[in-house]
Amino acid sequence: MKQVISSCSNKTCRAVKRLDLPLSQADIEGLKPGDRIEIFGNIYTGRDAVLPKIVADIENGQALPVDIDLQGSAIFHTAVSPAGVGPTSSNKQEIEESIAPLSAAGVKLHLGKGALSPSTVEALAVNKSLYAVLPPVTALLQSKIKAVELVAYPEEGMEAFHKLTVEGFPAIIAVAHGKTLY
Amino acid sequence: MAIEEGTIEKVRDALVRAATIYRDDQKDAFRRAIASEQNERAKWALEQLLANALAAETNKSPLCDDTGVPHLILELGDQRSLSGQMLEVIHAGVAEGLNALPGRPMAVLGDDKQRLAQTTGLDLDPAALVPAPLIIKHVSGNTMRLHILMQGGGPEIRGKTYRVFHKHRIDTIVDEICSWASEEVGKLGCTPCVPSIGIGRSHFEASALMLEAMVFGDFNVQNETEQEITRRINETQTGPIGLGGSNTALATFMKIGPQRASGVRIVCLRLSCCVEPRRASVDL
Repeated sequence: MKQVISSCSNKTCRAVKRLDLPLSQADIEGLKPGDRIEIFGNIYTGRDAVLPKIVADIENGQALPVDIDLQGSAIFHTAVSPAGVGPTSSNKQEIEESIAPLSAAGVKLHLGKGALSPSTVEALAVNKSLYAVLPPVTALLQSKIKAVELVAYPEEGMEAFHKLTVEGFPAIIAVAHGKTLY
Repeated sequence: MAIEEGTIEKVRDALVRAATIYRDDQKDAFRRAIASEQNERAKWALEQLLANALAAETNKSPLCDDTGVPHLILELGDQRSLSGQMLEVIHAGVAEGLNALPGRPMAVLGDDKQRLAQTTGLDLDPAALVPAPLIIKHVSGNTMRLHILMQGGGPEIRGKTYRVFHKHRIDTIVDEICSWASEEVGKLGCTPCVPSIGIGRSHFEASALMLEAMVFGDFNVQNETEQEITRRINETQTGPIGLGGSNTALATFMKIGPQRASGVRIVCLRLSCCVEPRRASVDL
Protein backbone atom coordinates (compact mmCIF):
# COMPACT_ATOMS: atom_id res chain seq x y z
CA MET A 1 0.00 0.00 0.00
CA LYS A 2 1.35 3.39 -1.00
CA GLN A 3 0.16 6.63 0.48
CA VAL A 4 -0.66 9.20 -2.18
CA ILE A 5 -1.91 12.74 -2.10
CA SER A 6 -4.50 12.95 -4.78
CA SER A 7 -7.24 15.26 -3.59
CA CYS A 8 -6.75 18.98 -3.31
CA SER A 9 -9.43 21.63 -3.12
CA ASN A 10 -9.55 25.11 -1.61
CA LYS A 11 -5.79 24.91 -0.97
CA THR A 12 -6.37 21.84 1.23
CA CYS A 13 -4.93 18.44 0.34
CA ARG A 14 -6.14 15.24 1.97
CA ALA A 15 -4.31 11.93 2.17
CA VAL A 16 -5.68 9.11 0.07
CA LYS A 17 -4.32 5.59 0.48
CA ARG A 18 -3.91 3.52 -2.65
CA LEU A 19 -5.03 -0.11 -2.36
CA ASP A 20 -3.85 -2.61 -4.95
CA LEU A 21 -5.79 -5.88 -5.06
CA PRO A 22 -5.36 -8.56 -3.85
CA LEU A 23 -4.81 -7.13 -0.37
CA SER A 24 -2.08 -8.29 1.98
CA GLN A 25 -2.33 -8.53 5.76
CA ALA A 26 -0.02 -5.50 5.98
CA ASP A 27 -2.45 -3.50 3.84
CA ILE A 28 -5.28 -4.30 6.22
CA GLU A 29 -3.33 -3.55 9.37
CA GLY A 30 -2.42 -0.12 8.01
CA LEU A 31 -6.02 1.01 7.61
CA LYS A 32 -8.51 2.43 10.11
CA PRO A 33 -12.08 3.77 9.96
CA GLY A 34 -12.19 7.13 8.24
CA ASP A 35 -9.23 6.48 5.94
CA ARG A 36 -9.90 7.46 2.35
CA ILE A 37 -8.81 4.94 -0.23
CA GLU A 38 -8.57 4.47 -3.97
CA ILE A 39 -8.85 0.88 -5.19
CA PHE A 40 -6.96 -0.60 -8.14
CA GLY A 41 -7.26 -4.08 -9.65
CA ASN A 42 -9.99 -6.71 -9.89
CA ILE A 43 -13.14 -6.43 -7.80
CA TYR A 44 -15.89 -9.04 -7.66
CA THR A 45 -19.52 -7.94 -7.55
CA GLY A 46 -22.60 -9.50 -6.02
CA ARG A 47 -25.71 -8.70 -4.01
CA ASP A 48 -28.89 -10.31 -2.62
CA ALA A 49 -29.32 -12.96 -5.29
CA VAL A 50 -25.84 -14.35 -5.87
CA LEU A 51 -23.90 -13.91 -2.62
CA PRO A 52 -25.93 -16.54 -0.73
CA LYS A 53 -25.23 -18.96 -3.60
CA ILE A 54 -21.47 -18.37 -3.37
CA VAL A 55 -21.66 -18.84 0.40
CA ALA A 56 -23.63 -22.08 -0.04
CA ASP A 57 -21.03 -23.37 -2.51
CA ILE A 58 -18.27 -22.69 0.04
CA GLU A 59 -20.18 -24.24 2.93
CA ASN A 60 -21.04 -27.32 0.87
CA GLY A 61 -17.41 -27.77 -0.09
CA GLN A 62 -18.27 -27.26 -3.73
CA ALA A 63 -15.46 -25.90 -5.91
CA LEU A 64 -15.95 -22.34 -7.04
CA PRO A 65 -15.57 -21.53 -10.74
CA VAL A 66 -11.89 -21.38 -11.71
CA ASP A 67 -12.02 -17.65 -12.32
CA ILE A 68 -12.82 -16.93 -8.67
CA ASP A 69 -9.92 -16.46 -6.27
CA LEU A 70 -11.19 -15.03 -3.01
CA GLN A 71 -7.83 -14.74 -1.23
CA GLY A 72 -7.21 -11.04 -0.53
CA SER A 73 -10.14 -10.11 -2.74
CA ALA A 74 -12.78 -7.39 -2.66
CA ILE A 75 -16.52 -7.78 -3.21
CA PHE A 76 -18.60 -4.79 -4.23
CA HIS A 77 -22.31 -4.97 -3.31
CA THR A 78 -23.80 -3.92 -6.64
CA ALA A 79 -25.64 -5.08 -9.71
CA VAL A 80 -23.87 -4.77 -13.06
CA SER A 81 -26.17 -3.44 -15.74
CA PRO A 82 -25.96 -1.29 -18.87
CA ALA A 83 -26.76 1.62 -16.54
CA GLY A 84 -23.51 1.02 -14.64
CA VAL A 85 -22.73 0.07 -11.05
CA GLY A 86 -23.48 1.64 -7.69
CA PRO A 87 -23.56 0.50 -4.07
CA THR A 88 -26.67 -1.14 -2.73
CA SER A 89 -27.32 -1.28 1.02
CA SER A 90 -24.94 -3.80 2.56
CA ASN A 91 -27.24 -4.26 5.56
CA LYS A 92 -29.89 -6.04 3.49
CA GLN A 93 -30.25 -9.38 5.24
CA GLU A 94 -28.94 -11.65 2.48
CA ILE A 95 -25.96 -9.41 1.77
CA GLU A 96 -24.95 -8.80 5.38
CA GLU A 97 -25.25 -12.50 6.20
CA SER A 98 -22.68 -13.24 3.48
CA ILE A 99 -20.02 -10.96 4.94
CA ALA A 100 -18.81 -13.25 7.75
CA PRO A 101 -18.51 -16.48 5.71
CA LEU A 102 -16.96 -14.71 2.74
CA SER A 103 -14.43 -13.06 5.05
CA ALA A 104 -13.58 -16.44 6.48
CA ALA A 105 -13.10 -17.67 2.90
CA GLY A 106 -10.53 -14.96 2.15
CA VAL A 107 -12.44 -11.81 1.11
CA LYS A 108 -10.60 -8.88 2.69
CA LEU A 109 -12.64 -5.91 1.54
CA HIS A 110 -16.43 -5.60 1.37
CA LEU A 111 -17.59 -2.51 -0.47
CA GLY A 112 -21.10 -1.07 -0.20
CA LYS A 113 -23.08 1.41 1.82
CA GLY A 114 -24.85 1.67 5.17
CA ALA A 115 -24.15 0.68 8.76
CA LEU A 116 -23.49 -2.96 9.69
CA SER A 117 -24.64 -4.78 12.83
CA PRO A 118 -22.28 -5.24 15.80
CA SER A 119 -22.04 -8.97 15.09
CA THR A 120 -20.87 -8.30 11.51
CA VAL A 121 -18.36 -5.72 12.76
CA GLU A 122 -17.01 -8.37 15.11
CA ALA A 123 -16.91 -11.03 12.36
CA LEU A 124 -14.89 -8.67 10.17
CA ALA A 125 -12.41 -8.15 13.02
CA VAL A 126 -12.09 -11.88 13.70
CA ASN A 127 -11.38 -12.55 10.02
CA LYS A 128 -9.15 -9.46 9.63
CA SER A 129 -11.31 -8.02 6.88
CA LEU A 130 -12.51 -4.51 6.13
CA TYR A 131 -15.71 -2.78 5.10
CA ALA A 132 -15.63 0.40 3.02
CA VAL A 133 -18.44 2.62 1.76
CA LEU A 134 -18.92 4.92 -1.17
CA PRO A 135 -21.69 7.22 -2.37
CA PRO A 136 -23.94 6.29 -5.33
CA VAL A 137 -21.61 7.81 -7.91
CA THR A 138 -22.37 5.64 -10.93
CA ALA A 139 -21.13 8.04 -13.60
CA LEU A 140 -17.87 8.63 -11.75
CA LEU A 141 -17.30 4.90 -11.23
CA GLN A 142 -18.05 4.20 -14.88
CA SER A 143 -15.08 6.34 -15.87
CA LYS A 144 -12.83 4.19 -13.65
CA ILE A 145 -13.94 0.75 -14.87
CA LYS A 146 -11.56 -0.70 -17.44
CA ALA A 147 -13.12 -4.14 -17.97
CA VAL A 148 -16.22 -6.13 -16.99
CA GLU A 149 -16.36 -9.94 -16.98
CA LEU A 150 -19.24 -12.27 -16.12
CA VAL A 151 -17.76 -14.92 -13.81
CA ALA A 152 -20.54 -17.09 -12.40
CA TYR A 153 -24.29 -17.62 -12.09
CA PRO A 154 -25.24 -15.96 -15.41
CA GLU A 155 -28.90 -16.83 -14.79
CA GLU A 156 -28.98 -14.01 -12.21
CA GLY A 157 -28.58 -11.45 -14.99
CA MET A 158 -27.42 -8.09 -13.67
CA GLU A 159 -27.12 -9.66 -10.21
CA ALA A 160 -24.72 -12.38 -11.41
CA PHE A 161 -21.17 -12.66 -10.04
CA HIS A 162 -19.01 -10.31 -12.12
CA LYS A 163 -15.41 -9.18 -12.05
CA LEU A 164 -14.58 -5.52 -12.65
CA THR A 165 -11.11 -4.23 -13.41
CA VAL A 166 -10.94 -0.77 -11.85
CA GLU A 167 -8.49 2.09 -11.56
CA GLY A 168 -9.02 4.40 -8.61
CA PHE A 169 -12.43 3.50 -7.19
CA PRO A 170 -12.96 6.03 -4.37
CA ALA A 171 -14.17 4.82 -0.97
CA ILE A 172 -13.77 5.39 2.74
CA ILE A 173 -13.00 2.71 5.34
CA ALA A 174 -16.10 2.34 7.54
CA VAL A 175 -15.27 -0.76 9.60
CA ALA A 176 -11.82 -2.02 10.60
CA HIS A 177 -10.40 -3.91 13.58
CA GLY A 178 -13.72 -3.94 15.43
CA LYS A 179 -14.26 -0.19 15.08
CA THR A 180 -16.90 1.52 12.94
CA LEU A 181 -17.69 4.99 11.69
CA TYR A 182 -21.41 4.46 12.32
CA MET B 1 -54.21 19.47 -33.73
CA ALA B 2 -51.73 17.20 -35.50
CA ILE B 3 -48.85 15.83 -33.48
CA GLU B 4 -45.68 17.66 -34.36
CA GLU B 5 -42.91 15.63 -35.97
CA GLY B 6 -40.08 14.94 -33.57
CA THR B 7 -42.28 14.69 -30.46
CA ILE B 8 -41.05 11.19 -29.63
CA GLU B 9 -37.46 12.44 -29.78
CA LYS B 10 -38.31 15.41 -27.54
CA VAL B 11 -39.73 13.09 -24.89
CA ARG B 12 -36.76 10.72 -25.28
CA ASP B 13 -34.26 13.53 -24.77
CA ALA B 14 -36.15 14.87 -21.75
CA LEU B 15 -36.01 11.46 -20.06
CA VAL B 16 -32.26 11.23 -20.67
CA ARG B 17 -31.77 14.75 -19.28
CA ALA B 18 -33.79 13.86 -16.17
CA ALA B 19 -31.54 10.89 -15.40
CA THR B 20 -28.18 12.46 -16.24
CA ILE B 21 -28.16 16.14 -15.27
CA TYR B 22 -28.24 18.11 -12.02
CA ARG B 23 -29.98 21.41 -12.64
CA ASP B 24 -28.17 24.63 -11.67
CA ASP B 25 -30.11 25.06 -8.40
CA GLN B 26 -29.17 21.47 -7.48
CA LYS B 27 -25.48 22.14 -8.14
CA ASP B 28 -25.76 25.35 -6.09
CA ALA B 29 -27.12 23.32 -3.16
CA PHE B 30 -24.20 20.90 -3.29
CA ARG B 31 -21.67 23.72 -3.54
CA ARG B 32 -23.21 25.42 -0.49
CA ALA B 33 -23.16 22.14 1.41
CA ILE B 34 -19.50 21.49 0.56
CA ALA B 35 -18.54 25.01 1.62
CA SER B 36 -20.38 24.75 4.94
CA GLU B 37 -19.51 21.18 5.91
CA GLN B 38 -16.97 20.89 8.73
CA ASN B 39 -16.84 17.09 8.84
CA GLU B 40 -14.05 16.08 6.45
CA ARG B 41 -15.57 12.67 5.64
CA ALA B 42 -18.91 14.25 4.88
CA LYS B 43 -17.25 16.89 2.74
CA TRP B 44 -15.50 14.14 0.77
CA ALA B 45 -18.82 12.39 0.11
CA LEU B 46 -20.44 15.62 -1.06
CA GLU B 47 -17.50 16.32 -3.36
CA GLN B 48 -17.81 12.82 -4.85
CA LEU B 49 -21.52 13.40 -5.51
CA LEU B 50 -20.89 16.69 -7.27
CA ALA B 51 -18.04 15.16 -9.29
CA ASN B 52 -20.42 12.36 -10.24
CA ALA B 53 -22.97 14.88 -11.48
CA LEU B 54 -20.36 16.60 -13.63
CA ALA B 55 -19.19 13.24 -15.04
CA ALA B 56 -22.79 12.21 -15.79
CA GLU B 57 -23.50 15.48 -17.57
CA THR B 58 -20.29 15.32 -19.60
CA ASN B 59 -20.70 11.67 -20.59
CA LYS B 60 -24.52 11.68 -20.76
CA SER B 61 -24.49 8.65 -18.50
CA PRO B 62 -26.84 7.81 -15.60
CA LEU B 63 -26.32 9.60 -12.28
CA CYS B 64 -27.17 6.37 -10.46
CA ASP B 65 -27.37 2.74 -11.57
CA ASP B 66 -30.90 2.62 -10.18
CA THR B 67 -32.13 4.73 -13.06
CA GLY B 68 -35.64 4.79 -11.61
CA VAL B 69 -39.21 4.30 -12.73
CA PRO B 70 -40.56 7.07 -14.99
CA HIS B 71 -43.37 9.16 -13.47
CA LEU B 72 -45.12 11.59 -15.81
CA ILE B 73 -47.04 14.78 -15.08
CA LEU B 74 -48.65 16.58 -17.99
CA GLU B 75 -49.63 20.24 -17.67
CA LEU B 76 -52.51 20.74 -20.09
CA GLY B 77 -53.75 24.21 -20.98
CA ASP B 78 -57.43 25.03 -21.56
CA GLN B 79 -56.65 25.86 -25.20
CA ARG B 80 -55.14 22.42 -25.91
CA SER B 81 -56.69 19.02 -26.40
CA LEU B 82 -55.13 15.68 -25.58
CA SER B 83 -55.64 12.66 -27.82
CA GLY B 84 -55.03 9.00 -27.24
CA GLN B 85 -52.55 9.24 -30.09
CA MET B 86 -50.52 11.83 -28.14
CA LEU B 87 -50.44 9.49 -25.13
CA GLU B 88 -49.09 6.78 -27.43
CA VAL B 89 -46.39 9.14 -28.67
CA ILE B 90 -45.44 10.10 -25.11
CA HIS B 91 -45.11 6.46 -24.12
CA ALA B 92 -43.06 5.74 -27.24
CA GLY B 93 -40.74 8.62 -26.28
CA VAL B 94 -40.36 7.22 -22.77
CA ALA B 95 -39.46 3.79 -24.19
CA GLU B 96 -36.89 5.35 -26.54
CA GLY B 97 -35.48 7.34 -23.63
CA LEU B 98 -35.06 4.21 -21.51
CA ASN B 99 -33.17 2.55 -24.34
CA ALA B 100 -31.02 5.61 -25.04
CA LEU B 101 -30.11 6.25 -21.40
CA PRO B 102 -29.68 3.21 -21.00
CA GLY B 103 -32.07 2.47 -18.16
CA ARG B 104 -31.44 -0.45 -15.84
CA PRO B 105 -33.49 -3.38 -17.16
CA MET B 106 -35.79 -3.94 -14.21
CA ALA B 107 -39.24 -4.76 -15.52
CA VAL B 108 -40.40 -7.83 -13.59
CA LEU B 109 -41.74 -10.66 -15.78
CA GLY B 110 -44.73 -12.91 -15.18
CA ASP B 111 -48.37 -12.92 -14.12
CA ASP B 112 -49.63 -11.14 -11.02
CA LYS B 113 -48.37 -13.71 -8.53
CA GLN B 114 -45.07 -14.24 -10.36
CA ARG B 115 -44.39 -10.52 -10.46
CA LEU B 116 -45.10 -10.18 -6.75
CA ALA B 117 -42.73 -12.99 -5.83
CA GLN B 118 -40.29 -12.08 -8.64
CA THR B 119 -39.87 -15.74 -9.52
CA THR B 120 -39.69 -15.58 -13.32
CA GLY B 121 -36.91 -13.08 -13.80
CA LEU B 122 -36.54 -9.67 -15.38
CA ASP B 123 -37.08 -8.38 -18.90
CA LEU B 124 -33.67 -7.55 -20.37
CA ASP B 125 -35.14 -4.72 -22.43
CA PRO B 126 -34.81 -1.36 -20.58
CA ALA B 127 -37.84 -0.11 -22.54
CA ALA B 128 -40.05 -2.82 -21.03
CA LEU B 129 -40.25 -0.72 -17.87
CA VAL B 130 -43.67 0.91 -18.16
CA PRO B 131 -44.12 4.35 -16.58
CA ALA B 132 -46.41 4.93 -13.60
CA PRO B 133 -49.91 6.21 -14.51
CA LEU B 134 -49.79 9.69 -16.04
CA ILE B 135 -51.14 12.62 -14.01
CA ILE B 136 -52.79 15.54 -15.82
CA LYS B 137 -52.65 19.00 -14.27
CA HIS B 138 -55.15 21.46 -15.72
CA VAL B 139 -53.68 24.94 -16.36
CA SER B 140 -54.70 27.95 -18.43
CA GLY B 141 -53.34 28.89 -21.85
CA ASN B 142 -51.82 27.08 -24.79
CA THR B 143 -49.56 24.84 -22.72
CA MET B 144 -48.83 21.15 -23.06
CA ARG B 145 -45.77 20.55 -20.91
CA LEU B 146 -44.58 17.08 -19.94
CA HIS B 147 -42.59 16.65 -16.73
CA ILE B 148 -40.63 13.43 -16.28
CA LEU B 149 -39.46 12.22 -12.87
CA MET B 150 -37.22 9.17 -12.52
CA GLN B 151 -38.02 7.66 -9.12
CA GLY B 152 -35.44 5.40 -7.46
CA GLY B 153 -36.19 2.45 -5.21
CA GLY B 154 -34.41 3.46 -1.98
CA PRO B 155 -36.59 6.52 -1.36
CA GLU B 156 -39.71 4.42 -1.91
CA ILE B 157 -38.63 2.24 1.03
CA ARG B 158 -38.20 5.37 3.17
CA GLY B 159 -41.50 7.00 2.24
CA LYS B 160 -45.06 6.69 3.46
CA THR B 161 -48.51 8.20 3.07
CA TYR B 162 -50.35 8.52 6.37
CA ARG B 163 -52.90 10.51 8.35
CA VAL B 164 -52.08 13.21 10.85
CA PHE B 165 -54.62 14.57 13.33
CA HIS B 166 -53.63 18.21 13.12
CA LYS B 167 -55.38 19.57 16.26
CA HIS B 168 -55.75 22.84 14.34
CA ARG B 169 -52.02 23.57 14.52
CA ILE B 170 -49.60 23.40 11.60
CA ASP B 171 -46.87 22.62 14.13
CA THR B 172 -48.53 19.26 14.82
CA ILE B 173 -48.13 18.30 11.16
CA VAL B 174 -44.58 19.61 10.89
CA ASP B 175 -43.60 17.79 14.11
CA GLU B 176 -44.99 14.54 12.73
CA ILE B 177 -43.11 15.00 9.43
CA CYS B 178 -39.83 15.79 11.19
CA SER B 179 -40.21 12.90 13.60
CA TRP B 180 -40.80 10.34 10.84
CA ALA B 181 -38.12 11.79 8.57
CA SER B 182 -35.53 11.88 11.35
CA GLU B 183 -36.27 8.27 12.26
CA GLU B 184 -35.95 7.04 8.66
CA VAL B 185 -33.18 9.20 7.24
CA GLY B 186 -30.38 7.17 8.83
CA LYS B 187 -31.62 4.10 6.97
CA LEU B 188 -31.85 5.82 3.57
CA GLY B 189 -28.15 5.32 2.82
CA CYS B 190 -28.09 7.81 -0.03
CA THR B 191 -28.08 11.07 1.91
CA PRO B 192 -28.16 14.06 1.76
CA CYS B 193 -31.87 13.68 1.14
CA VAL B 194 -34.55 15.99 -0.19
CA PRO B 195 -37.77 15.44 1.80
CA SER B 196 -40.60 15.66 -0.73
CA ILE B 197 -44.02 16.22 0.78
CA GLY B 198 -47.60 16.44 -0.43
CA ILE B 199 -50.50 17.21 1.90
CA GLY B 200 -54.05 16.64 0.67
CA ARG B 201 -57.44 15.06 1.36
CA SER B 202 -56.78 11.48 0.27
CA HIS B 203 -53.81 9.18 -0.12
CA PHE B 204 -53.97 9.53 -3.89
CA GLU B 205 -54.11 13.32 -3.76
CA ALA B 206 -51.26 13.55 -1.24
CA SER B 207 -49.08 11.30 -3.44
CA ALA B 208 -49.85 13.37 -6.54
CA LEU B 209 -49.01 16.56 -4.63
CA MET B 210 -45.72 15.02 -3.49
CA LEU B 211 -44.80 14.37 -7.13
CA GLU B 212 -45.79 17.93 -7.98
CA ALA B 213 -43.52 19.20 -5.21
CA MET B 214 -40.65 17.25 -6.79
CA VAL B 215 -41.41 18.71 -10.22
CA PHE B 216 -41.59 22.36 -9.16
CA GLY B 217 -39.32 22.49 -6.08
CA ASP B 218 -36.30 24.80 -6.20
CA PHE B 219 -33.22 24.37 -3.99
CA ASN B 220 -32.71 28.14 -4.02
CA VAL B 221 -36.30 29.09 -3.11
CA GLN B 222 -37.41 27.69 0.23
CA ASN B 223 -40.31 28.92 2.36
CA GLU B 224 -40.19 29.10 6.15
CA THR B 225 -41.76 25.68 6.73
CA GLU B 226 -39.48 23.99 4.21
CA GLN B 227 -36.46 25.60 5.87
CA GLU B 228 -37.60 24.43 9.29
CA ILE B 229 -38.02 20.81 8.15
CA THR B 230 -34.57 20.85 6.53
CA ARG B 231 -33.02 22.35 9.67
CA ARG B 232 -34.60 19.80 11.98
CA ILE B 233 -33.54 16.84 9.84
CA ASN B 234 -30.01 18.24 9.74
CA GLU B 235 -30.00 18.20 13.54
CA THR B 236 -29.82 14.40 13.33
CA GLN B 237 -26.21 14.78 12.14
CA THR B 238 -26.69 11.70 9.96
CA GLY B 239 -24.75 13.41 7.19
CA PRO B 240 -23.92 12.34 3.63
CA ILE B 241 -24.16 8.52 3.28
CA GLY B 242 -24.42 8.35 7.05
CA LEU B 243 -20.89 9.63 7.66
CA GLY B 244 -22.00 12.40 10.01
CA GLY B 245 -21.89 16.15 9.54
CA SER B 246 -24.36 18.95 9.11
CA ASN B 247 -25.80 18.14 5.67
CA THR B 248 -28.38 15.38 6.06
CA ALA B 249 -31.02 17.22 3.99
CA LEU B 250 -30.21 19.72 1.25
CA ALA B 251 -33.69 21.25 0.97
CA THR B 252 -37.37 20.37 1.40
CA PHE B 253 -39.97 20.42 -1.37
CA MET B 254 -43.54 20.69 -0.10
CA LYS B 255 -46.86 21.15 -1.88
CA ILE B 256 -50.03 21.82 0.09
CA GLY B 257 -53.30 21.08 -1.73
CA PRO B 258 -56.94 21.57 -0.85
CA GLN B 259 -57.82 20.31 2.62
CA ARG B 260 -60.74 18.31 4.01
CA ALA B 261 -63.12 19.92 6.51
CA SER B 262 -61.91 17.53 9.18
CA GLY B 263 -59.40 17.00 11.94
CA VAL B 264 -57.22 14.90 9.69
CA ARG B 265 -54.61 15.72 7.03
CA ILE B 266 -53.17 13.12 4.66
CA VAL B 267 -49.41 13.51 4.33
CA CYS B 268 -47.23 11.83 1.71
CA LEU B 269 -43.58 12.01 2.70
CA ARG B 270 -40.82 10.67 0.47
CA LEU B 271 -37.18 11.02 1.45
CA SER B 272 -35.80 11.60 -2.02
CA CYS B 273 -32.14 10.63 -2.31
CA CYS B 274 -28.98 12.55 -3.14
CA VAL B 275 -29.39 12.25 -6.93
CA GLU B 276 -33.03 13.36 -6.83
CA PRO B 277 -35.20 14.93 -7.94
CA ARG B 278 -34.21 13.54 -11.34
CA ARG B 279 -36.54 15.57 -13.48
CA ALA B 280 -36.83 17.30 -16.83
CA SER B 281 -39.61 19.08 -18.69
CA VAL B 282 -40.46 19.45 -22.34
CA ASP B 283 -43.09 21.49 -24.19
CA LEU B 284 -45.13 19.44 -26.66
